[in-house]
Parts: sequence; C-alpha cells; structure tokens
Amino acid sequence: MATHIRIEGVSKSFGMQQANRDVSLDIRAGRILALLGENGAGKSTLMSILAGTLAPDSGRILVDGQPLPPGNPAASLGAGIGMVHQHFLLMDQLRVSQNVCLGLPGAFWLSPRRMAALVRDVSSRFGLEVDPDARIAALSMGERQRVEILKLLARDCNALIFDEPTAVLTPGEAAILADALCGMVTQGKAVVFISHKLPEIMALAARAPVDVAVLRQGEVVARYDLTTDTPAEGELIRAMVGREVDLAQVERLAAAPHVLGEEVLVCRNLQVPGLQGVSLGVRKGEIVALAGVAGNGQKPLVEVLAGVQPPQGGEVRLLGQPWHAFYSGEEPGRGLVVIPEDRRGAATAGNLDLLDNYLLTTRRRYTRGGLIDRRQALDDLRQIIDDFNVRPPVPTTPGGRLSGGNLQKLVLGREFSREPGMVVAEQPAQGLDVGATEDVWRRLLAMRARAGVLLVTSDLTEALLLADRVLVLYAGRIMGEVRRGISSLETEEARGKIGRWMAGLD
Amino acid sequence: MPLRLVDRTKPLPWGGFFVATISLAAALAVCALLLTWQGKPGLHGVWLLVDGGFLHGYALEDAVRKAIPIFLCSLGVALCFRMKLWNIGAEGQFALGAVGATAVALRFGHWPAWAVLPCMCLAGAAAGALWALGPALLKRRLGVNEIITTLMANYIGVLVLQYLVYGAWKDPVSFGFPMTELFSDAAQVGLLPGSRIHYGLLYCVAAGLGFWWWISRTRLGFELVVSGENSRAARFAHMPYGMLICLAMGGCGALAGVAGFLEASASVHRLQPSIMVGYGFTAVVVAWLGRLRVPAIAAFSFLLAGFRVGVENLQIELQAPAAMAGVLEGTILMAVLSGQLLNHRRLVWISRRTTP
Repeated sequence: MATHIRIEGVSKSFGMQQANRDVSLDIRAGRILALLGENGAGKSTLMSILAGTLAPDSGRILVDGQPLPPGNPAASLGAGIGMVHQHFLLMDQLRVSQNVCLGLPGAFWLSPRRMAALVRDVSSRFGLEVDPDARIAALSMGERQRVEILKLLARDCNALIFDEPTAVLTPGEAAILADALCGMVTQGKAVVFISHKLPEIMALAARAPVDVAVLRQGEVVARYDLTTDTPAEGELIRAMVGREVDLAQVERLAAAPHVLGEEVLVCRNLQVPGLQGVSLGVRKGEIVALAGVAGNGQKPLVEVLAGVQPPQGGEVRLLGQPWHAFYSGEEPGRGLVVIPEDRRGAATAGNLDLLDNYLLTTRRRYTRGGLIDRRQALDDLRQIIDDFNVRPPVPTTPGGRLSGGNLQKLVLGREFSREPGMVVAEQPAQGLDVGATEDVWRRLLAMRARAGVLLVTSDLTEALLLADRVLVLYAGRIMGEVRRGISSLETEEARGKIGRWMAGLD
Repeated sequence: MPLRLVDRTKPLPWGGFFVATISLAAALAVCALLLTWQGKPGLHGVWLLVDGGFLHGYALEDAVRKAIPIFLCSLGVALCFRMKLWNIGAEGQFALGAVGATAVALRFGHWPAWAVLPCMCLAGAAAGALWALGPALLKRRLGVNEIITTLMANYIGVLVLQYLVYGAWKDPVSFGFPMTELFSDAAQVGLLPGSRIHYGLLYCVAAGLGFWWWISRTRLGFELVVSGENSRAARFAHMPYGMLICLAMGGCGALAGVAGFLEASASVHRLQPSIMVGYGFTAVVVAWLGRLRVPAIAAFSFLLAGFRVGVENLQIELQAPAAMAGVLEGTILMAVLSGQLLNHRRLVWISRRTTP
C-alpha cells in the first residue's frame, strides 16, 4: 500500500525556544525526503514528533488521511513509521535475529530457526547483508545500523526516518547504505533522510526521486523537488544558514605560513585497552588531525591525554613532562586543555548553572585563599557569552537547559580562555551551526600562535581543511599519515587514501 | 494504563511546599490506618501524635533537644549524599564521637569548662571522623562499596561503646548498670538560660552556617558539589576525587561525632548505651529529604524529632508500640519521595484510543 504521510502545521516549543513553527510537509511512498538544516534547526524534534516520542503543541499528522494520536510511539510504529536513531538501540549481548524479533507483535513463541529465517528473508529483499546469528557486540557500526533498519522492515514499516545515518559510517559503509535506501524506495517505502551534508543528498538525487525541505530556526524555508529542480549547492547552503558562507577564507588562514616550535605532545607506543601502540607527536604551531570513525580508540586516547586514565605502556610526554609528573602536583594538567566530544558527560554538569560550569575548569584562576571569587568569574563569563554568542545569555541558566551547540560554545570559550600550550579538541564543531563552526575553526587556527592542537575528528572535511597533517586511527592503531595537499588534486587523492584507512584497508 | 505521567516544562510554582504538605498528610493517614488496624482510634492517635510533639512548650523543647543530634548527623550525611556517597554510618560515628568525648571527660574532668569542653568536642569530632575514614579509604583504595562498610561499622561502633561502659569505664557505684560515672560539672554542656534546651543549639547554628559557607564559597566545596553532580566532568577538570571522598566522609564523621559528644555531655551527662536511639539512621532520612539545603535539613530534623516526641505520647496514651516512630519516618520518606515525582510531572488521564 502506498503510504502518504502529511505533517500539518506542527509547532513545538521547549520553554522559550521554538523548535518547530507551523511546519507542513508531505512524505510520499517511493520517494526520499531529505531534511536539510543546521543542528538546532528543528529536524530531530520534528522527526521525534512523527515517531511519537514527542507530542506537538499544535498541528497534527495524517497517515493516509487518518490523524495519528500525538506523543504515542506505539501508535506511530503501528502506522508504519519507524526511526533509525543516531545512537543505536540494540542489545549488545544478543544475536542479530534476537534483536530484530525483540518485541515483534505476535511473536510470543518463536524458534531461533524461524527468527533467523525471518531476518534472512528481509535482509535479502532489501540488500542489507548481515549474519542473523552474529552477536551485536561483534558487529561494525555499519552492520549495527543495518540491524536497526531490519528491525523496522521486519515490522513492515512503510516510512523510515534516518537521523544523520552517515555520521558513524566509513565512506564505504555510507555507499552501501545509499544502495539500500535506493532499494527501499524502489520497493515503495518512504524514506526521510536527515542530514546537513549536501554532497550525500546530491548523490542520492542522482539515483532516486528526492524531495528536499530546508529547515531553519524551526521553519521550512525552502523546498525543492530534485527530479525537476536543480538548485546550486550555494543556494541550498544559503537557505540553511541564511547567509553566504565562504570557506576559502578559512582555507587561506590554514595555509598561511606558520612557524613550528617545540614538541608539546609525544606519544611513543602508547598502550591502554582500546589502543595498540599509538605513536604520534604534535609541535607548537601546528594542527594535527586524528581522523577515524568513532569508536576506534579515540575515547581512550583522549582520556589518557586528559589525565583521566593513566597510560599502561609506552611513553607519553605533555608539554615536555612525562605523563605522571604532568598530572600531579599543585595544579595537575596545567597548560593543556581538552574539549571532549561528550560535552554533557565530560565537560559540563547539567544541574549546575552556567557560572558554575564556567568555573569547572577555570576555578583555580578565581581562587584566593581557598575561596572562589564568583563576582570576577561572572564578569569574565559574560564576556565569553558575548564573544561566543551563547544562547540564552543568562549565567543562572542550568547547563542542561542549553542546546548542544550552545553548550559547546560555552565549553570552547571557557577552554580557549585558559591560555593553553596544548589543545586536544575532539569533534569541536559537532552540533554547531555553520557560522559558529567557521568561528571555531578560525579560533583553532589562531591557537597555533601559542599552542599545538590535536584535532580528533571523524569529519574529513574538517581534518583536511585545518590540519597540517592528518593521521588515521583504526582499531586502536595509526594507519598512516597524510600531509596537507597544496592542489585540489592532492586533496582528492588524500581523501581517497584516508577513506580507505578509516575502513581498515591499506 | 489510563493514568500517565507527563513532564512539566516548568516545575510547579510553590510545588515543593504543596507536595511536602500533602505527602506529610498522606504519611499521617497511613499511620492512622495502621493504628486502626491495631484496634486503636486512628484519627485520635494522629491528633495525639501532633499534640504531643508540637503543641506544648515542653513538647517543643523536647523536639528541639532531639532535633540537635539529628540535624548535626544529617548535615554530615547530606555532605556525603551530595557526592553520591551513600554513607549510612552516622549512627556508628555518633557512638564513637560520644566515646571520644567521654574519654576526655573521664580523664580531664577536673579541668575548667573552657578547657575541657573544647577538648571533648574535638575528641568527639576526631573519633567520629576516624571511624568514617575507614570506609572512605576502603572505597578509595580498594573500591569497596561504602554502603556495606558504613553499615557494618555502625554495629562495631555501638559494640565498642558497650564494651567500654560494661567494662573499663563502668561506674563502680552504678549498681551494675552499664554507664560511666557522671561527668564533672565542667564537662557538662549547660542549658540555655530559662529553657531545657542545651547549648548544642548554638553548635547547630554554627555548623549550619559553616556548612553553607563552605559549600557555596570555597573551592573545595565547589569541587565536592561538582564531583557529586558529574564525577566524569570532575575527573576531566582534575578535581581531587579521592581526597574529596575522604573529606566528605571525614566531615560527616566529625559532625556525627560532635552530635555524640553533645548527647553524652548535655543530655545524659555520662556515657550509656541508651543514647543510641537511632539518630544516625533518622539522619539518613532527613538528609535524603533535605538534600543540601541547610534550612530544609533543619526543618526536617525538627519535624522528625517532633514526631519522635509525639510517638512517646502515643505510647503512653494508646499503648502503641515504640516502633511507630520508625514506621512514621519510613512512610514520610516514601510519601515525600513519591510526591517529589509530581514536582516536575503531572498525572494525566488518558482515554483509551484505538490505534490505527
């Protein structure tokens, strides 16, 4: 049956923040709806409303003319709407078939053989290869995503929502996903594809009918039917951002000649669980990018550098000092700042207000005789809120109330204010809008004047744009190194090499 | 389920007050039901409870006297809870505090009050703190769960107290009763003029103010709060987590120790096992209810102390069992905790719908 889902005038706000404002969209069988927009534009909120995990303040959703009860995930799933979340909802210790069949209606008695057969049937129909008997823990991120998709297909979902599905995939895995999406569309499914990466959407449009809706600040600001319209990339970016963005300037800054100083970070054969002998060095004045798909050893590496877990083998020197000496004494870790990817878990505390969150790492600066001078800290915080445009600009707001992007701006402002000699930045621009991203990139480049920067990222564009050297981390090892190319040809070649390394190929 | 909890975007204005009042009423209603079940007049029992606990001058004085040790212990427990250290060892730390203070009182009782009382207070605090440091170090070095160790240390602490009063410290003229000799006048904390409330109240005021100041002004206090809110962020910010564990536990032990000192010196003027009436356990309830807010801890200390006094009235008038005090504490805790759920959520009636 050809499903037709219509979103009618949906609005949703969280406190003062309007996440969606009178959004109307059509989702049709046999087509891909690409939902474009910056982080914080309201894409995820809208899709959560569709999937029933949030209820709209006003407006409604019609599935084949029938209104969908709001805020009821079971009803949405029953109506054939399923969502593949960014963070997979799988049981690591169970097998693929068990995960797929878990909670399947009418499956009170189900033999392992029938479960496997069901999974094999669905996966062959949609070209989603995965071993039904494998345990989830043993699968790559791409395979896990396929299991998530199979869960929805096994429930006969007709509309599948993908929330930034390629963020956790290698370039190769992303290509397989694109094949699968096109396959689903030709078999009459409706697909919603949330992204802020234009090239992905253009590539899909070449193979399947794609509608594009651009969201900005909760509203649909542009719509295209890519079977007939051919908007220029610049036009789409302008719609997303609301202004022109010029990366050439950042590129020029990155390529500007800069002087290298002493080594501020040296790892020789570093061993901890998850890392198998990593060696790398960063000198003052350079940005070294560590590219790789998330989960390949970034977390233990950052934790060692941040002083959260000690190295178990090999040697680590930070700002000229051995690890143990650097992380002991009166002011452990002085001169090194870390911008962790997990900003809510590792960089801020949700129940504390912005002032206390600001003091989290800067507290020593405001301590006199054991007492914290909050008044002076407040002045400095207001300056940072101004400089980085943190919203809402109210120091008494609890950190947990800020959006991911605004929280990140606060963290960046806080850490950059600490006059570091070494910066470890993990996915620093994730969740930021285009304007803020550009700003962060510029600030990272400016950091070269005083510090060495290790940029841990899964965004190849970011790595190639900013870094003097790009190292690729795969399965806890460094696969290889690429220096910044001068010509675009060199850049293309580097991109290909890095892509293969990220997938573990030599 | 036709009833469903829905998140509120804003907490209920005045919600805390309403929720506490309604929860309290619910807890009293449960007690009334329990009394009725025992064949006693339930509503009259609740009236006796409130009347005997709060509505007479002498009752209020008694309530304050009982609230003093509860408040001090609760401050300490709240310190640990704020760091997500589930220290339920205030009872044992209280016992050791009393023992430490008594050791000084028995040995140096001939000193003038200005010399012996501060020494007793310090000895009580030190003994309580040392008693708490054992579990703290076990947790820090070996990762032993502090719930188990502090709970077990309670029993050992009480046995240490009993060992001393049954043995080495027993008053030779006590006719075999397990108690030390009466403290000298100098070693007794006196009463506030014109009342039956002792100077321990001033210790509470000082401890409450000091606690608030330390948490909100000092760097260590800030680090303690952060470590409790998000220990991972605290480690990324290089906070001395292990040291803070010892500090919170030791602080709790010291406060409970001072409570033990006051109870021995000001209330019974000697050491005897009857001072162990579970203030340290009541403190766990109070700390949970009051969190880190000093006024709330004070209010709940007074409330539960008043109910303890009221239950005595209930025992006399209705021959209700003494365990009513514990039952009441438990029901209040459960009622308030379930009530707090409604602070940020509301119950809505969802009519049954057919899903398409």
